Amino acid sequence: MGSELVNSAPLPTYTEQFYKHFPFYLSIGMTYDQYWNDDCELVVYYRKANELKNARKNQELWLQGMYIYEALCCVSPVLHAFAKNGTKPHPYRDKPYPISAEEIKEYKEAMEKAKRKKAMAAFMTWASQLDLPDKVEREEVNADVRHD
Amino acid sequence: MAKQITFEFEGKKYVLEFTRKSIEIMEKQGFIASDIVEKPVSTLPALFAGAFLAHHRNVKREVIDKIFDKLTNKQELIAKLAEMYNEPIMALIDEPSEDEGNLNWGANW
Repeated sequence: MGSELVNSAPLPTYTEQFYKHFPFYLSIGMTYDQYWNDDCELVVYYRKANELKNARKNQELWLQGMYIYEALCCVSPVLHAFAKNGTKPHPYRDKPYPISAEEIKEYKEAMEKAKRKKAMAAFMTWASQLDLPDKVEREEVNADVRHD
Repeated sequence: MAKQITFEFEGKKYVLEFTRKSIEIMEKQGFIASDIVEKPVSTLPALFAGAFLAHHRNVKREVIDKIFDKLTNKQELIAKLAEMYNEPIMALIDEPSEDEGNLNWGANW
């Protein structure tokens, strides 16, 4: 009874397991000496570092995709066969995307400034088109002030 | 940081630790961890001696046996050595992340 648990296939030795995992750790930058002779916990940190590296790489590739996508959008007006003569592509962004907190803050401030400048320009244009008389007479209102 | 056992013997400081290389050497010499239960008399001193390979490879076996004989609280020492011996393999195994579907377990001792 229970003989199915006895005399099963021999368990792999620790050494076999070490050799099985060895190529992976070599591939993520561990040296022979670090893997075999150094602190055995080092593999945990190499694994975590590898996860961070992969995430960063993924982020970089995604960002690159964003730049390519935006560049294609910019040139899209001239890319189609029936584009009118003189059609020009949209200008590509003059700065990379802001990434750090400081860059984002600067970017937002610059956007605000540009928006205000645009609004001011629009207002000035509107104001210049108004048909105002040369001299506007102002009525002076004299208010009676009562002192109780 | 890997688990280590430290002590001083005859004015010399010793640091016991298992690396993957020392376990490989032990297994090449015929050490089998599961023998601890069946053949504790020969396996335990071998396990203790193996812990010297990482930092004190050239210490003679007679000295190691002498130290082993003199060490107190052997039961706890053996438990610690077994834990240390398993560390290089356990470090290779990924802990599953906290997620639904993982099983938690408890022990009553």
